[in-house]
This record gives sequence, C-alpha cells and structure tokens, in this order.
Amino acid sequence: MVDIFTLEIIKNGLIAASEEMFYAFQRTAKSPVIYEVLDYAVGITDYKGRGLVAQSPGVPGFSGVLDFTIREVLNKWKNELNPGDIIATNIPYSGGTHLNDVALVMPVFYKDELLGFIVNKGHWSEIGGMHFGSWTSDANEIFQEGLQLPSIKIYIEDRPNRDVIDIIKANSRLPEATLGDMEAQIGSMKVAKKRIDELVRKYGIEAIKEAMEKLIEDGEKLSKLRLKELPKGTFEAEDYIDDDGINDNPIYVRVKVTITDNEFIVDFTGSSNQVNGSINSPLPATVSAVREIYMAVTDPHALPNAGYFKPLKIIAPEGSIFNPKKPAATSTYWESMSYATDLVWKALAPRVPEKLSAGHFLSILATIIGGIDDRTGEPFAIVEPQPGGWGASYNSDGESALVASGDGETYIASAEVYENRMPILVDRIELNTEDGVGHGKYRGGFGIIKDYIILCKEAYFTVSIGRYKYTPWGVNGGMNGPPNYCVVYKKGEKPRIIRKAAALKLEYGDKISLHSAGGGGWGNPAERDLNLILNDIINGYISIDTAEKVYKLDKNLLKDIYKKL
Amino acid sequence: MRIGIDIGGAFTDVVVFDENSGDLLWTKVETTPDDPSVGVIKGVESLNLDLKNADLIIHGQTLAINTIIERKGAKIGLITTKGFRDILEIQRANRRDMYNFRYKKPEPFVPRYLRLEISERIKSNGEILRPINEEEVNAVVQKLLEMKVSSIAVSLINSYINPIHEKKVYELIKKIDDKVFVTLSSDITREWKEYERTNTAVLNAYIMPKIHEYLDKIEREFRNRGFKGNLFAMLSNGGTSTFEFAKKYPIYTLESGPVAGIVGAIKIGEVMGIKDIITFDGGSTTTKASLVFNSEPNITTEYYINRNRYSPGYPVKVPTVDIIETGNGGTSIAWIDETNNLNVGPKAAGSMPGPAAYGRGGKDPTLTDAYIICGLLNPEELLGGKIKVNRKLAEEAISKIANYYIIPIEEAAYGIIKIANYNASNVIRLISVQRGYDPRDFTLFAYGGSGPMFAPFVAKELEIRKIVIPYIPAGVFSAWGMLATDIRHDLVMSFPIRIDKEDSIKIINDKFYELENRVKSTLASEGFNEIIIVRYAEMRYYGQEHTVKVPIMGGVIRDVEIEEIKRRFNEIHKAIYSFTLDSPIEIVNFHVSGIAKLNKLPIIKINKENRQIDKAFKGIRKTYLGKYDEWPVYDKELLPLNYEIQGPAIIEDDTSTAIILNDQKGVLDEYGNLIITW
Repeated sequence: MVDIFTLEIIKNGLIAASEEMFYAFQRTAKSPVIYEVLDYAVGITDYKGRGLVAQSPGVPGFSGVLDFTIREVLNKWKNELNPGDIIATNIPYSGGTHLNDVALVMPVFYKDELLGFIVNKGHWSEIGGMHFGSWTSDANEIFQEGLQLPSIKIYIEDRPNRDVIDIIKANSRLPEATLGDMEAQIGSMKVAKKRIDELVRKYGIEAIKEAMEKLIEDGEKLSKLRLKELPKGTFEAEDYIDDDGINDNPIYVRVKVTITDNEFIVDFTGSSNQVNGSINSPLPATVSAVREIYMAVTDPHALPNAGYFKPLKIIAPEGSIFNPKKPAATSTYWESMSYATDLVWKALAPRVPEKLSAGHFLSILATIIGGIDDRTGEPFAIVEPQPGGWGASYNSDGESALVASGDGETYIASAEVYENRMPILVDRIELNTEDGVGHGKYRGGFGIIKDYIILCKEAYFTVSIGRYKYTPWGVNGGMNGPPNYCVVYKKGEKPRIIRKAAALKLEYGDKISLHSAGGGGWGNPAERDLNLILNDIINGYISIDTAEKVYKLDKNLLKDIYKKL
Repeated sequence: MRIGIDIGGAFTDVVVFDENSGDLLWTKVETTPDDPSVGVIKGVESLNLDLKNADLIIHGQTLAINTIIERKGAKIGLITTKGFRDILEIQRANRRDMYNFRYKKPEPFVPRYLRLEISERIKSNGEILRPINEEEVNAVVQKLLEMKVSSIAVSLINSYINPIHEKKVYELIKKIDDKVFVTLSSDITREWKEYERTNTAVLNAYIMPKIHEYLDKIEREFRNRGFKGNLFAMLSNGGTSTFEFAKKYPIYTLESGPVAGIVGAIKIGEVMGIKDIITFDGGSTTTKASLVFNSEPNITTEYYINRNRYSPGYPVKVPTVDIIETGNGGTSIAWIDETNNLNVGPKAAGSMPGPAAYGRGGKDPTLTDAYIICGLLNPEELLGGKIKVNRKLAEEAISKIANYYIIPIEEAAYGIIKIANYNASNVIRLISVQRGYDPRDFTLFAYGGSGPMFAPFVAKELEIRKIVIPYIPAGVFSAWGMLATDIRHDLVMSFPIRIDKEDSIKIINDKFYELENRVKSTLASEGFNEIIIVRYAEMRYYGQEHTVKVPIMGGVIRDVEIEEIKRRFNEIHKAIYSFTLDSPIEIVNFHVSGIAKLNKLPIIKINKENRQIDKAFKGIRKTYLGKYDEWPVYDKELLPLNYEIQGPAIIEDDTSTAIILNDQKGVLDEYGNLIITW
C-alpha cells in the first residue's frame, strides 16, 4: 500500500510517459499528416486492456479509438503475447477509423507479469488502395481502400517480422515515408516503455497498478461531478449530410441526447443506414466523436481516460451510417463522424451556451495534392485538412480560421515550407470575406481562401467537402454560415465548383481555390452593437452594403467610422 | 568597476563588482514601471558609486517583454505580400485547447485595417516572380502614416531566402518619412515560416519606440553622472550587445533577466572546472531550468511568449536560451482538487499576501509553510530577520490539508513537499531527458530563494550526484550573471539542403562563411575584432519536419567532415528518440554564434578566518520527512572552508536556506559555494 501522495506522483508519471511518447512521435515522423496535422493518438492502458489510464490525442477525434484497439488485440492474441511483441492493426469496424490509421500496440511486462499496453495509432500517408494517399471519396468497399492489418505481429519478441514489413512496403506508394513513420511510432513507444520501466523499478508493480486504478476512479468521479452541472432532460437534433460521394442524395442523421444525474446517453437511432460511398463512420470513430463533445460540454480540461467516459452511453444501430458493417467503405469516415459530434452540439448549444458556440464549418475540406516533383524526380504529397470559421456564442463573435472540431493541436502548413518542398505556389491564404459568415447579434468567424497553383507537369487532386448544401447552423435567430467549396481553374476550361474529386488530373499553371465556410451567427442581427458593426466595416470584415442590408445600419452613422481611426 | 542592472517586474537589482578592491556590492529597489530609469538611478545612487570610475554597465530588463504582455506598445502598421495580410490572424489555425469549443486564439498585434498588401512576390528559390511596384509601396506607406502609425513592420513571403524586396521597401519608407521606425522581418531572422517570422517582426516594431526611448534616456542619465565607459544590453541568447543594436532589435532582449543567471552558473562552473550543468532557478512563484553542455547554453529559436498548455502564445524566432518554466515555487499554494488529490501550484501566494506564516494575511497553505512545519525552514525568522515567521499561522494553513485527509499535520506538510519536489524534478526531466541528455552526467546548480531547498530532493530523484549552490546572494544572482557575460550574436538561416548531394559541400561551406561574415561585421561595427565563432546545424532525416541541433566543426568542410557530421547527427537522434534511420540527412538551418570576450570577471576567495564548526552550529531542530528526526542547523557565514558536513543538516544565511539530506554531504569551498554530493 502506497500513500496517497506517492500515488499522485506515479499517476503523473504515467501521464508524463504518454506525453513524452506523443512528443517523440511528432518530432520524428516523416509525414506532415503526423507532424503538422497531429493525426494520431497515444496512450497507456491497464493489463486488462479494460480502459485507458492515460492518453494524449493530437486531435480530439481520436479520443475514443484506442481502447477499441486494445480490446481487438486481446481478443485475437489472448495469452500469446510476449515481451518485445508489437502488433499492428487498422480494421475500421472493430478497432478504428479508416485503413490509413494504423495502431501499434506494445504489451508491457514486468518479469513475466503483464502490466499494461502502450498504444500509438497514427495516420500513415500511404497504405495502398485505388488512389494515391489511400483514402478517397469514390470507394464503395473496403478492399479499394488499402491494405488490411487485422492485429498482425510486426515485431515478435524484439525481432522485426520481415515478411510482414515487406508486405507493407510493397503495398505503399510512399514506402520511405510509411516505414519511416512506423519506425518513429515504435521509437516513441520505446520512450514511454523506458519511463514506465523506471516507475516500476522505483515504486514496484503493485503501486503502479494501484495508480492506474486510481486514475480511472478519479476520472469517473470528476465526470459525475460535471454531469451534475448540466441541464437534465432529453434533447434532440437532426441534420443532413450533403451526399455520400457516389450519388447526390442527402443523408438524414439524427440524435437524441438524454442527460440524467449519472448518465449521458447519446442515441443515433433513426439515422440513415450505411451508405454506398466511403463516408461511413465506424463505431470507434462515432464513439470518439461523442467523447469529444462530451469533454466540451462537461470539462474541456479533464483527463480523457476510461473512467471519465464511464457515464457516457452511445447507441448506434449496427448497419447504420454511425456503425457500418464490413465491407462498407470508410476512408472518408470523418464526413459522418463529425456529424456525430455536431448533432450533439446542435442539440445542446442553446442549453449550454457558456460551453458551446453556434455551428462551425465542420467539413475539414480534406485535400490531397500529389505527383512527381520535376525539380527532383521524387514523389510529393500534400495531405491536409483546412481551417474554417467557428460559430458565434451568446456573448462574442466566432473565431476565424480554426481547424474543425475533430482536429485539435493541428497546424496548417507554412506557405514558405510548402513552396520549398513541393512544386506549388501558394498564391494567397486569407480570411474568406468573399463568402462571409452567419450574421447575428454576434456573427460567426471567417473561413479562409487558399489558392494553390501547380508548378509541375502533372499532379493529382483528391478532395472531400461537406456542408455545401447544408451550411453551418445559427442559434437563436442567428443566420447560417455560407457553404464550403472549391473552385478548380484548368487551362482552357471554365472554372468549376467542386465538392468531391478523386485523383483529378491537374497540369502546370492550374489553380485550386479552396473556400471554407464562416461560422453560424447567434441572436438576431438587428440587435448587433453599433460599434461592432463599425469595427467590422473599418477592418473590411463586412461591406457597407451588408451592414445596411443585414444589420440595418443607418448610413448617416458611416461618417463616424473614420473618426474612429 | 562593472555594474550589472536587472529590471524585474517587482524589483530592480543592481550589482557592482570593483576589480581593484574585490568588493561586491548589491542592492534591490522597487521597479518604477512608468519610468524604469527612476528605479535604476535610485538603486545605483543608493550604493554611493563614483560612476566616473566605472568602465562597464550591463543592462537587462523586462520592459520589452512586459510591454508585449501588457499590450502597451506603439500603434504599428504591417506591410505584407499580396494575399498574406491575414496570416497574422489566421496564424497556424491550431486549437491548442482542443476540447474547448469556445476557444479563442491569441489576438494579433496589428488590427486588419493596418495590415496592407503590396503585389510583389519572391519565389521559393529566391528569384523574383513579380517585381516591386514603387508607386504602390508609396501609396501603402502614405496610408499607414495617415493613420498615424509610429512604427512599421515589413514581412514579405520568401524574404528569408532573398530579402531584396524588403530592403527596397525600407528605402522607400525612409524616403517618405525618415523618423518612423521600420522593422524588416529578414533583418531579424532568416528562418522560413511566414507566420512566425511576421509575428516576430511585428512584435519588434511594437516595442521599438518604447525601448529606443528608454535606452536613450538611461544612457543620458549615466552620462550626466559622469559615466564614460561602455553600455551593453543583455540579450536572450545569454550574451550582450551595444545599446545601438538593442534599440534596433529590442525583440532580442525579451528573456534578458533569467538568461543572465545561467551565464552566472557557467561562470562559476568554469572556475570549478564543471562544464555540464543543469541550472535550477527556484523562485517564489515559478521554477526555471536550463541545460548547459560543455559550458555552452542551449540556444534555440523555438521561443514563444505566453505559451501554455491551452494557448499557443506568440512565436518569437530569435535566439533564446532554452529555459523551461513551471508554476512551482516557494510560495506555490497547495490545494485539493475535486477528486481529492493534492496539488501544488501553479497558483502562488507571491510576496503579497505571501505564505501564511509571514502573517501578511495569507491563509492558503504554501510550500514555505510546509517547509516550516517540517522544520526545514527557520520557524522564527528568515532572510536574517527581515521576515518574521509565525509557525502557528503555518499550522493553521496546513491543517486544512491535514484535516481533509485525517492525517497528522507534519505528514500533510511532507506530502506537499513531495509533490512540489516531483514537479521540480519534472522540469529537469523535460530540459534533459526529453532533449536527449542523461541528467546523471550533469551538476545541478541551484539558486533563487527556493532553489537550494528543492535541489537535494531533485538530485536524489534523478540520481544527480553533485549540487552547487553558488555563493552569490540568491536574490541578485541574475544581475551578477550579467557581470560575467560576453558580447554575443547568433544568426540562424534556413537553407534546406541534403548533405549527400554532390554540390552540397560547397553550399554548406558558403552558408557558414556567409553567416560568419555577417556575425563578424556586426561585431566589428560594435568595435570588436577578436571573435570566437561557434557553428551549429539543425538537421533531420530527409522527410522529417523537426530537427535536432548538431555542433559543427570550424574551418573547411570536406567529405571527411561530412561523415563526422552524419555520425554526430545519428548519435544525437538516437539519444533523444531511441532510433536512427537509414535515410538521407538534411541540414535545414545554419546557425553561427559570434562571441567577443569581455574582460574576465575575477572570482575572489572568501575570508577563511573566524570560521569554526562549533561557532557555526546554531542548534538542533526537529524535522519530519516521513519520520521524526533532529537535524543540526549551521550558520553558513561561520562555516569553516572545506569542512565536510555529513547530512542531514540545515545551512542558513541572511539570504537563503539550504538543506543537506541524510546520506548527502556538504562542503563550503574556498569561494563560498556550497557543494553537496552523495
């Protein structure tokens, strides 16, 4: 039995181990999707794999997938795990998201006793499939989306399993980056292992187990306290997803949220069945999406561990868009997954206004531009989400140009770095005042416009854009935001608005112009404070025309504007 | 005679060393924020110095960083390349506080209407895509001047590789108005990444008028008092520069206070023959740690203002000593969270109201109160009687914790100490283990009020075998460190290049010589010609984004040196990240330091007489660290030199308290440094 203060120190040590692993992977990965986008999550679980004791997600959209992963590994390998093993898995339905996201799992032993697991799940840039980058908006079954790794040992007792690694290598269009990322992933897990070994040596295995237990208990306790502060009752919301990427029909989704003193139940029953296209959100992804909004409405600074999520119950019928069955395609899963977050958000925003804003641009406008760089003869790939506008709140305007709810400490790349490394010119990155925002007593934040000009003979462009038909929602009389879209300018052709493209061929000088949406407004625009309107005009956020039409600004007041300068 | 001046947020420290007499004088006066020169002059005058005899003044200040934090700088304008004026507002678009769905990013320092664009464009290889249109630039400048900006930042895309357009804009601005302050991004840094470089230029422009005025004024004040020597400004890279340089690039001075302490530690280390140091600056509200390898501080340009767990802060791409700070100091408050766990910090009682035991109205239990309860700090008075201690009040405060857990008060106090020690160890872990260094290979230099209290525990936790507690009074160590600095400039330039390509050797040599020539000419313009050059490269495996810093040999680089550079890179990468790759290797940033040594600061041996162990012995104090014990207390001023004190023991003097744990031993060396080993 260790004293409560030492326990506290061990707990912090476990959290620090997870954070060090997170940091090490970011610093050494080879793909921008890891080191800039932080499309990965790491964690430590107890020996039963029952729940995470510590995790460090780079994006909130990964808050829920790690425990599914461990369960999948335990189901398959049971007692056949040994020190020095590392298992790779990426099966969406049981443990994940899409095939690009490969989880590595390392059992941690002390002598012969299993203490827990270290897990690191990251987006690999290339894992085969029908198009460059693996994920695509035109797949209709999983076999088109890349290589499947159903809990495969890639290290057996500290020795690399060469055969499997060769299969991975042979199936990737970017083997250098893919294997480099894998090495970095493993390296980071070793960093965590070293730290845990130190803790075991210093405090003994029983103390570590006790600390793990305590972390989970504390999580549950705090979660229940926070739950008490929320409004009780049943709250509903519905919406449409633009389309599934294969045909143009809108897809109906809905949620019923029931909050009691001890439970937070999220029921997606009544949402559309799984669809033909690749936007299906596997159950682990749906669970992640809900955990994310649960953190937001309860306590954004709580530790996201298994205990904290205990009061959360999620119902998503099998075969639905939020819990698809094999062989559903899932490679652009985030298009639906973000709706799982957004529906709960929409249902609760008017009830928890100090924690939630109006609707945001939601769709990450995920973009791949790839090809061969004529300067070096080597392949290049840009894989990135775009930032956009967030919704207004009951007492302030929305934030401009932030990554979407599923992304977190995700960086947009620097134009100078891109121009140096890729054959492109970044012609502008500016706030999207052209399409504007959802107006209101408080207005939404602005999206962005980003123009890329291709500077190589041939490049391929894949994009997936949602919230074009059904735009970011306003609250309490606030207006909806504008749509997300992209315009492609090809030589000799008229500019085209595009929402979904799969490996569209581009040539030297062609331009892609990405427009992300502004956020929804909050409250009636007629009630907007005059100073805020004038300030928006001075700074060019809104035009005088908009001020007159939407905000009913009296023209005589305009002369005041220039006095303010 | 040389004078070190450190303006902090609360106090201004003045330290004077007279080479002729060997005397060290120091004083602390309150900072006068409205006009900091008032406090400085008051401090200097209180020491009754004859400024005519002083040959050197070295000046550090927090004025620059406070102007930014308090947003009290100038009205400034920004000129950018067309299509990029919003980069200051878009930033990197990250949501660092990721579950907070009402997240706000840091507000830019230039509002949108003062961010204007010009249609020039440089390509990523430095060629001109669109030339400058002079009329357009003139119109933009006129517009900014009409809006009454007093300072203008210019940051154009790809200026890091070719600054020609920025230089042209400078000329044009100066032609229209030669009084307005101008900052070119490429003058401050030649590193890529437009948001970071733009923000750096903007912040420089923002503080430039104020710092310029202040430095002019303080120089005048000294000259009026007969000072004829040289004035130098302390920089964030641990070196100093002329006032002229600091007036143009005040952004280089942001961390000038804390950094000076590290320079002081290096200086003392040199005398003792210790080159690998972890500095541990235990303050009242925070703890700061830094790592010194081979007598060189670790200089980085990954520096941010106001960055924390939930905010990205503002990037500042200037060479800054790598310091990690955490909210864990002597007056940190202990509190119980909603899940019944004990925490220490980051909230602190500070100097007002201070720890409960000081009787100034503080009610919260602090680390200092815990030290008092456990007998580690004097239960009657501290700082040679300047602070009266009331143990009863400490007991009342700590009893809140003890009652909550239903444990004896000493056990609660010891719990607070343990958690604070863990927090402190963690800072050292971050600055060492996470950077690829093994703390066991280093000596811990502990200073600041609480540094010597933490150090013996931290050393045990991290298996650091040696602690040095410098002889300089804890409160003025940073100001003293300024006396020991040299003139130093660091230049960093992005020029990504794979070192396995045929033509790369020539480019690598060219880049280093280019930077060296620039550093030398900067130093020559300040009047220094004897210069030490140190080279580094920030390197990575081809395809990676982040880099590790590798020391590079001087002179001509040939194939054999390239092999050695590769070896060093692989070794460092392995140490930090546990693996190497069989990939090509790339240099991303070239880094050159130019150092001109000032006259060495002599360190004087202390008086050996009148020191006896029985005279130093002050009595026995009851302590509790998991079990009750009795520890001897000694007066440091009377301890004999080179006399080995077997722990446990408490060593007190008028400025701080140090402790020696059970199996540790302490020795006072001939300079007055307390050395603890085990």
